[in-house]
Amino acid sequence: MLVSRLWLEEYVRPNVSPNDWIERLTMSGLNFDGATDIGADQAINLEVTSNRPDCLGHLGVAREISALLQVPLQIPNPQPAADGPAIQKDFQVVIDAPHLCSRFTARLVRGVKIAASPRWLVDRLVTVGVGSVNNIVDITNYVMLECGQPLHAFDFRKLQGAKIIVREPRPEETLLAIDHKSYRLEPGMCVIADANRAVGLGGVMGGADTEVTPSTVDVLIEAAQFNPMSIRHAARKLNLHSLASYRFERTIDNQQIDWASRRCCQLILDLAGGQLAAGCIDVGQKPALIQPIRLRHRQTDRVLGIQVPPKQSAEILTVLGFSIQSSSADEVTVIAPSWRRDVTREIDLVEEIGRINGYEHVPDNRPVPMVASHKRPADRVVDRLRHFLTSVGLDEAMTTSVVPAPWSESFSPWTDAEPLVSQQPMLGVLEKSSQNIGQVNHLRRSLIPSLLEAFRINEYRGNSDVHLFELATVYLSQPTGLPNEPTKLAIVSQRDFFELKGVIDSLLAHLNPKVAATITTFDHPLFDMNFSGQLDVAGQRLGYIGSVSAQGKRTFGFRQSATVAELDMQAILGLARATVRHQDVSPFPSIQRDFNFVVEERVRWRALESSVRRAGGELLESVSFKELFRDEKKDGPDRKRLLLTVILRSSELTLTGAQADAICERIVRQCQSDHQANLVA
Amino acid sequence: MSIDANKPADIALTDFLDQLNRLCESAQSTFAAATSNDLLEGARVEFLGAKSGQLKSVQKNLGSIPGPDRPAAGQRLNEVKSAIQSAFDHAKQRLEQVGQIQMRDPKIDPTLPGPAFRVGRLHPITQTIEELKDIMGRLGFTPAEGPEIEDEWHNFKALNIPADHPARDPLDNFYLAVASRHHHEPLLLRSQTSTVQIRVMEKIKPPIRIISLGRVYRPDTADATHYPMFHQMEGLLIDENISLADLKTVLRLFADNYLGSSVPVRIRPSFFPFTEPSVEADYFWNGRWVEFGGAGIVDPNVLAAVGYDPDRYSGFAFGLGVERLCMIRHQITDIRYLFTNDVRFLRQF
Repeated sequence: MLVSRLWLEEYVRPNVSPNDWIERLTMSGLNFDGATDIGADQAINLEVTSNRPDCLGHLGVAREISALLQVPLQIPNPQPAADGPAIQKDFQVVIDAPHLCSRFTARLVRGVKIAASPRWLVDRLVTVGVGSVNNIVDITNYVMLECGQPLHAFDFRKLQGAKIIVREPRPEETLLAIDHKSYRLEPGMCVIADANRAVGLGGVMGGADTEVTPSTVDVLIEAAQFNPMSIRHAARKLNLHSLASYRFERTIDNQQIDWASRRCCQLILDLAGGQLAAGCIDVGQKPALIQPIRLRHRQTDRVLGIQVPPKQSAEILTVLGFSIQSSSADEVTVIAPSWRRDVTREIDLVEEIGRINGYEHVPDNRPVPMVASHKRPADRVVDRLRHFLTSVGLDEAMTTSVVPAPWSESFSPWTDAEPLVSQQPMLGVLEKSSQNIGQVNHLRRSLIPSLLEAFRINEYRGNSDVHLFELATVYLSQPTGLPNEPTKLAIVSQRDFFELKGVIDSLLAHLNPKVAATITTFDHPLFDMNFSGQLDVAGQRLGYIGSVSAQGKRTFGFRQSATVAELDMQAILGLARATVRHQDVSPFPSIQRDFNFVVEERVRWRALESSVRRAGGELLESVSFKELFRDEKKDGPDRKRLLLTVILRSSELTLTGAQADAICERIVRQCQSDHQANLVA
Repeated sequence: MSIDANKPADIALTDFLDQLNRLCESAQSTFAAATSNDLLEGARVEFLGAKSGQLKSVQKNLGSIPGPDRPAAGQRLNEVKSAIQSAFDHAKQRLEQVGQIQMRDPKIDPTLPGPAFRVGRLHPITQTIEELKDIMGRLGFTPAEGPEIEDEWHNFKALNIPADHPARDPLDNFYLAVASRHHHEPLLLRSQTSTVQIRVMEKIKPPIRIISLGRVYRPDTADATHYPMFHQMEGLLIDENISLADLKTVLRLFADNYLGSSVPVRIRPSFFPFTEPSVEADYFWNGRWVEFGGAGIVDPNVLAAVGYDPDRYSGFAFGLGVERLCMIRHQITDIRYLFTNDVRFLRQF
């Protein structure tokens, strides 16, 4: 909210420099956000939080300064002479929609002279960024910016049927507003109408048909109270945000309505002449009684951490406009002023005392009792996981949780349930080249599509070595209750299928050397049929791995080869060892033996390895795959050679060559009988 | 004196000594001149050879030295023998050393790079979160998590945000479409991590000291300073007699840790529905006050909503935007860089 320094000084005379009182305002809740010199005046920008609509007028800000600096506050007391014929004789106001408008007042000034505003009035308005229109419109704006109550002036003679009806819009009703645009009115908006048509959108904007023009002679001054929700809805729907709607949205002081109306009429009489009709039309609810609030003095200490003497607390509340009903040594009961609708409870009083007393007095050196916080086991595993992933050359990515429909549909291995869809799309999150994909409103069921888009962006930008991982939640709809939000680890990499599989195997071994993943067929259009599969650990689904198929590359718009994987974090956390238990290592040397088996193509490594292990027995320390190649000339068609190495070791003695030979013979026999594997000499 | 033809003629001592001296010099210079092990070995055979070495030949003459002169000749022979042996040892040692001297090979270019070993980087947001968790962990705050898709109770009502509050406007939140729901209650992507605080308080009784960290969602159009998804860290401490002074102390300790030195902290009034009083925390950093985040004393309505007695327990809560901290620290000028995942960006951190 922009305030004029000179304007403020009409109500309060600060006894300190502007820098000082601005600092005090910042520290008591009106944060200073810059100032501009405008002629001899300054426009000071103050941030007013939504609970303080009383500070959306100069009087409210002056009231704060008065309380902070303990200097007197001068508030005008308008008593305009009302010597014209009574307004009620000629005019009537009916509220047909009390849920939209709780109170409506009207005064009538006849015979005004529309002219330019005097210099001082123009200056005041210009300083706070409001353009001058004519004396009547300027006065309504001036009074709004003075006290926070928006007002509207109608050309009285253009109101048809001598009445105003406050009502819901009729079907298909439109309003030509003072910006000369036509707006279609919708249910829930508050229409100000005369006997025949809408003449304004209450609290938001007036109508063009009844606006004050140079030929206007009689003006009707509206001061009303509208439903904040309805105002917000209408302003937003029609994109019609005005100084008035801003104030009505935050609720106005309904005990000030009459003051604002009188103030406005007084200024009109002073600046535009005319005669004020006797009386005032005032329909709707009268302000409700404000309930007293009890403050137990010990609560200030308990909440603020400082002792404020009860006498001082009472003084602070008094200068803020609270009236003291009763007080004792331990407590005080007060009634809040009508402009402080935000103060309804004891805790609110404590805040008032705290902020006026000054939070700078709150100490920041309390002894904080020690509490042992701990890193949760799952967090430790995630730390190890992240460090492993970076150490194998993967960069961590972060992508949005909400994706376009085609991505959501492209891959969803964790659920067959429909994706969750957000009513609002995410705006501005797609790269230009992806903006035709669709609205970003599907909560993702897999991280892989997002990573493929990241891969595409990197390829498009000519980046090399693109290896990314992301740890994030996916959103799986459930028949009842909140959706399921399991965490997944996804990887996209330029590495080939086996390299990425090696990364995953090493990751598992890193977290628990005793487990290994098995792979089974998993056919999906996004994956290359040969280089893909579902990974399981100990019969539990771990996740999926696959090289992206040609179709997948087309869908996501990139050319290079990419391999992706997505693993379930719950499975990973389940298999990771929390605490490593030491195992003695054998002090005896190992013996290494290499094997070169010729087998039929159908023989899988996994099966051969398991035969080797079975035959090797407990002296077999490890078996590792070395190489696969084919030599049709020597071995015939449909044959391949698998080279492997075994390490033999005993924990009790140094193995002899003869012992090792015996084990190797067993291995060869086993592989021969299980797989018709022939050892190449 | 008769001459016995079969008996070698006597050799004068002086001649013998001359022979020895010449042999000694010759051996010494030959050994010294040897430039390879082969040449030295040849010289060794010539002078020190066991069968036909020159020293052996001269030694044979010792018998022809007249008896009285023989001790002197013998003594000299031994001296020469050890001198030659010593010359050989020296030469041998010298050649061994020559073998160890390294020669610079102009074909080797040590400025060639070694094979690069690529190590990945953690996302700057993750790094910021880890640091925040670390600092708050030292202050006794344990991380807590909750769902990102929430009901209105946890996202609004329990947080003292009534139905007519602007924050609940459907246009200002990511509500899930009705077709996405199997039950009647509206669900939305949480707009703040305070939801986790409610969930924790519903489950356990004070004292409570937690931080909730995670993604939150608000439908701002993405630009340089806004993104519809971002991360928050919120702290919550509930116990008996917790006041604004405790809050200010924790904020100061946090600032001292995060910003690395003793940093002035100030709090000034603000407004949030779930705290009362509500404050904005500023840190004096690089010569000016920088807004750090919102905080306050947990509103009694919030305590009551989770079944705590507001007259017995009190507490504070604070929240800050992780992206903002991360961007200030690393001087990142556009929030969208954080979510584009250009590897040239990611590898800077």
